[in-house]
Amino acid sequence: MRYIMKKSLLAGMVSLAAIPAIAEVAVDGQIDYESTVFFNDSLNPNIDQNINNSISFDAEVYTEWADGSQSLTFKPFYRFDEMDKERTHGDIRELIWHQVADEYELKAGIGKVYWGVTESNHLVDIINQTDGVESIDGEDKLGQPMVQLLLEREWGNLDLFVLPYHRERTFAGSDARLSVGLDYADALYESDDEESSVDVATRFYSYIEEFEYAVSVFHGNSREAVVGVDGNTQKPLPYYPVISQLGLELQYLNEGWAWKFEGIHREGVPENSIVIPAFGAVGAALLGPNLVLGDEESYFATTAGFEYTIVGIFESRVDLGWVVEHMYDSRQEKASFGAFEHDVLLATRWAANDDADSTLLVGAVVDYEYEDYSLSLEGTTRLMDGLSLEVEARVFAPDEDAPLYGFRDEDFIKFRLSYYL
Amino acid sequence: MKKIIIGSLLVLMSLTSFAETPEEKGLAIAVEGDKRGEGFGDSKVKLKMVLVDAKGRETSRDMRVKSMEGKADGGDKSLMIFDTPKDQKGVAMLTFTHKTKSDDQWLYLPALKRVKKISSRNKSGPFVGSEFAFEDISSQEVEKYTYKYLRDEVVDGMDCFVVESDPVDKYSGYTRRVAYIDKQEYRALKIEFYDRKKSLLKTLSNSDYKQYLGKYWYPNLSVMTNHQTGKATRLAYENYEFRVGLKAKAFTKNSLKRAK
Repeated sequence: MRYIMKKSLLAGMVSLAAIPAIAEVAVDGQIDYESTVFFNDSLNPNIDQNINNSISFDAEVYTEWADGSQSLTFKPFYRFDEMDKERTHGDIRELIWHQVADEYELKAGIGKVYWGVTESNHLVDIINQTDGVESIDGEDKLGQPMVQLLLEREWGNLDLFVLPYHRERTFAGSDARLSVGLDYADALYESDDEESSVDVATRFYSYIEEFEYAVSVFHGNSREAVVGVDGNTQKPLPYYPVISQLGLELQYLNEGWAWKFEGIHREGVPENSIVIPAFGAVGAALLGPNLVLGDEESYFATTAGFEYTIVGIFESRVDLGWVVEHMYDSRQEKASFGAFEHDVLLATRWAANDDADSTLLVGAVVDYEYEDYSLSLEGTTRLMDGLSLEVEARVFAPDEDAPLYGFRDEDFIKFRLSYYL
Repeated sequence: MKKIIIGSLLVLMSLTSFAETPEEKGLAIAVEGDKRGEGFGDSKVKLKMVLVDAKGRETSRDMRVKSMEGKADGGDKSLMIFDTPKDQKGVAMLTFTHKTKSDDQWLYLPALKRVKKISSRNKSGPFVGSEFAFEDISSQEVEKYTYKYLRDEVVDGMDCFVVESDPVDKYSGYTRRVAYIDKQEYRALKIEFYDRKKSLLKTLSNSDYKQYLGKYWYPNLSVMTNHQTGKATRLAYENYEFRVGLKAKAFTKNSLKRAK
């Protein structure tokens, strides 16, 4: 983190020096207060908290010059969390210089990129690391150092990325709800360059009428860690292998239907049977954590389904959507924690189309092999201009053998008030 | 010789106007109105949208619209960027209007960095909670309706054609629209919208028309009133600018992500 800060600061100073003094600077800010209520006591006897409060700050500083053909965006973020010292954290979400030329676009700095089309699972999305402490859905991301070249042509769009630094995934700390009850050990890497290994990625995307498609390739440090146990401290130990990933995204819109597909083929991930023998304190100090990894294997995973939307149900203003998606992972029971090996999402989305832009998404993810499920509810509305309310609730009903069994008493409802400055 | 040609042309024209059916006359009025709007090139305008509920409570949204006129075969392209409400700041919508097939529309959500294609099925739905439907705010291409001239009527002291237009698209929320178009400048002063049950749903009133580039008439205030709910939406336009040199590159799906 500190390393990145220094680097970014330098990059920022260089870019800032190039901005003419007359450039207008736009500043926006947001303060979020959230309160999470857990319905049950934690299984971890060390945690006696059933209500957790947290405050976060987001800002955006934007300036452009050279007739808008160059810009600089800075988005810092900081969260203070009452319970979890891991969740009390800051990040530079973006600090990026952007140039738009006739034949290309160039971006350099810390950026954020989203790939994908499906609702339940974001398989293809790999540029940014997940800010796992932020939320359980994995949709919050850490800023990623990058150089991005975009070529927009008649035949489609081609994005080329050089990613010179790897961010470790953030995990909830031992004293937090929705955690594994242990702090994580320092990460290990397959790459000799560790987090400084230079990753590369490219994505081609285009559309023909109502059919949109994208093909992407990534090579470098995996964003997803294989998690073992540090034999010395018994802490969970994230190991980041070097992987190659081929991704495919398809979407076809036809009247009320949106058909969606995401698929990845990944090589270089060791089987999830990582054993770290205990050498005792002296051994670990001498050798570091010793890692025995399963064979590297290739696997594929897919998410496929549809969303069907009825506009103006019962002659009202309300739109109702049905979302059905099937998730599959060829590793099946060997799949990593958090993967959806054989699951189905059934959800319904409501858009009130009112002046407060109220929306509601209620869904169930059903694992038909383990015969368990989890429920989720996400609703948003605007209380007044500059003040929004978001409600998120989750219920976990995992099978005894399921990876999420440890979350069986972590059902919660979270209220978030967002104040826009 | 010349005189004879002109003379016979005049005879021919009067003959055709005699033979004109209400459908032909309605189409001719729509074509003429469209022709008078041609050649603007590109434009920029600021919009303030005020939503008024049945009790008179108001909420507002600010946005900016950039438009680019389509070439001979293609429709117009437009980019709408939201400035308020504050939680919607940076949301942008790109529309490619097509003459016959459904429009293409994409929405950019800056918080997620996600560009989402909007289904054309959505055209009858409310636009950002307002009384305008998506189909009301998209560029009005002649080919999207069939026409019928109904009568002449005086509106606000101006002689008007009253023309019915029926949407071709089966997903339109309307069975018909009735427009009051002034004979002098072909400006739509008022449009009534009839819902799928053929009852009067809404009325759009355009006022405070101003002429730009010595040729193009645009309203500076549009009010859509919903007769069934008592709600209304006011659209106030500010600072129209034309031929500002917008580039085609600013109207692509990819460009949505950098729309500011």
